[in-house]
Parts: sequence; structure tokens; C-alpha cells
Amino acid sequence: MTPDQIFAEVRAMLIEIIGAEYALSLDIDMETSFDADLELESIELVKLSAMLTERYGDRVDFVAFLATKDLDEIIEMTVGDLVTHVARCQALTGALND
Amino acid sequence: MTEVIANGVGFHIQRLLPRQELSRSKRPVVFIHGLAIDNLSSFYYTLANPVAHAGSEVILYDLRGHGLSERPRTGYQISDSVADLAAILDSLGVDGPVHLVGYSFGGAIALSFAVAYPDRVTSMLLIEAHVPVPGWAEQMAARIRKIALDVAGSDVGRWIAPKRKHARLAVVDDLINNTTLVTDLLASKPLPQQELRMFARPVRAVYGAHSDILGHAHLLDSLLSEYTLTVLPGLDHWLLSNAPQVLRGIVLDWFAAQAEVGAR
Repeated sequence: MTPDQIFAEVRAMLIEIIGAEYALSLDIDMETSFDADLELESIELVKLSAMLTERYGDRVDFVAFLATKDLDEIIEMTVGDLVTHVARCQALTGALND
Repeated sequence: MTEVIANGVGFHIQRLLPRQELSRSKRPVVFIHGLAIDNLSSFYYTLANPVAHAGSEVILYDLRGHGLSERPRTGYQISDSVADLAAILDSLGVDGPVHLVGYSFGGAIALSFAVAYPDRVTSMLLIEAHVPVPGWAEQMAARIRKIALDVAGSDVGRWIAPKRKHARLAVVDDLINNTTLVTDLLASKPLPQQELRMFARPVRAVYGAHSDILGHAHLLDSLLSEYTLTVLPGLDHWLLSNAPQVLRGIVLDWFAAQAEVGAR
């Protein structure tokens, strides 16, 4: 998958989590922040983690990914950071078969 | 992620399967979070995934009214929470005994569940667990009212707050002020201590040395035959957020030991 394709899927997941109504007021792109822009709370990150695992399998270990970051880094995390992480995991384990 | 209807309520559940092959001796580990401002995420990011990685099936759920579970207007007595857990396990097809891990109010639910269904609990790990003793409900109600006041007095005001953060506070406010949570807690019966004495499975408890409920740790010591207490110096009630790494070591050691016992 290309980073653009991953971004499109991650964006759809985020819209499902925050709700289409709120998403209407946002233009979600690679620079969109999880905290300042999307205002995701911890339980919603759990839901995102489960959706990522369901879609990409254990290769995208979101919890382990967060564990490598300190609190400031998590707060500053962007959609692009996650897309890059997913792309890197896929590059390490081979292309995803759709 | 799973959503199930149990005891008439929709529950948000996260079930983590171990990466290594499940040992037959390993029972599922069920995590029960705390009250009002808590949800399953506090365990998800601290203890649950390491336990799953170590080879146990893990079940996390949001209590009714919390996290992503449904928030009914009624049903917040401890006996309701016990019935909820039994129904959730039934709905997941878990009919054998499980390990319970309870934090704070979740510990009170674990203890009450063990009294109600002793055959469904193989061990308990209690972190800063509340024990529903006479007078406890009044103290819990006071704590919750304070949380409500803190939420109402938050500087995240209605007009300046980001929309979603305000909605989040409104959910806590709704749970405390518009459901029977407080009155149900006050109506909850104290834990029948004589029945808890009959519980003969291993129980590990962890409290902070500066915890305001450290007395509960010593009460459990007087009631439970297979009880091990660890008091962590310099820490208070909020162990899960302030000492997750210390807890992680204790929890992993505990379940490794339980697996050895189960394998014998």
C-alpha cells in the first residue's frame, strides 16, 4: 500500500471515531494533531488501536508504538506520524495483501 | 473490539489474545477499572497488553456508564456491576474461572463478584481496592460529589471549550448527576465479610503507603487465607497512573506464578 492509501484508511477510521458531524468542521490531513485538532481521548485511542489491529494485523502494534514516546510526543503526534508508522511496519513485513 | 449486550446494557469490550500459544493452564484475565472518571484505557495502556504478550487471554470492559459502554439511567449498585460482569462473561462464552484484576472501585466489584460466584474466580489481583465496609458507601458518594464539583468548576467553560472536550466533561457530569449512580452506591450493601472468609483462592493486593484506604488492605489481611500484600513506599491511591512500571513487574510475576500453580 502507498502512504496515500494508508492515509485514506486512517482518515476514515478517525472520522468514524470522532463522528462525521465533528469531522465536517475539520480538514484532516497529515499535519492534523491527535490532541490539539482531533481532541482524541484515551478511550478513543484504544478504539483506534483496535481498528488498526483489525485492519493491518499485529504488525502495527499501536500500544508498543505509543510506549516508545513520552507524554509530550504523544500529545504532539500527528496523523502523518501514524501513517508513517503503519507504512514502516508494512515495509518491514512485506506488502499487505488486500 | 467487541460490543455486547449483557444484562440489558451495551458494553464496550476489548479482548486481547496472546501472541504465543495459549497454555491450557492459563485462565483469562479480566480487568475491572475504577469509578466515574476512569475507563478501560487506564489498564489498556499499562498492564493489559503486557499480560497478553506474556501469554494470557485478556478481557477489558468499560463499566456501565463509563468509557464507550452504554450509560443507562439506573443500575449502579455493586450488585448490578456483579451481575453485569457475570452476564458479560456469559456472552463471551467464558464459563470457567477467571483471574480478576481490579483497580480502586473495580476492586470492590472483584471482591463482590468473588463472594457471589466463588467458582468463577481463580485468583484476584487487587490494586488500591476499595472494600465495601459499613460507612464506605457514604465516603464514596462524597468522593463522587467532589468529582462532580471539580467538573462543574473546571476552567473548560462551555463557551471557550473545544467542542469535544466539553462533551467529554458533560458525559461525566451526566453520569454523576443524571443517573442513579450516587443513590445506588449509597444503597449498596456492605460486603458480607463472613462469606469473603470462605474464598480460598490466592489474592494479591497492592496499595500505596500513603493511600487513604490503606486500612482496607489490612482488613483483607484479616479475612483472606491466601493473601499477599505489597505496600509501595512513597505512593498514594493513584498507583496505576503514578507507578505503572512497578505494577507491571508485580502483575507479570503474579501471573507467571499463577500459571505455574495451574500447570501442576
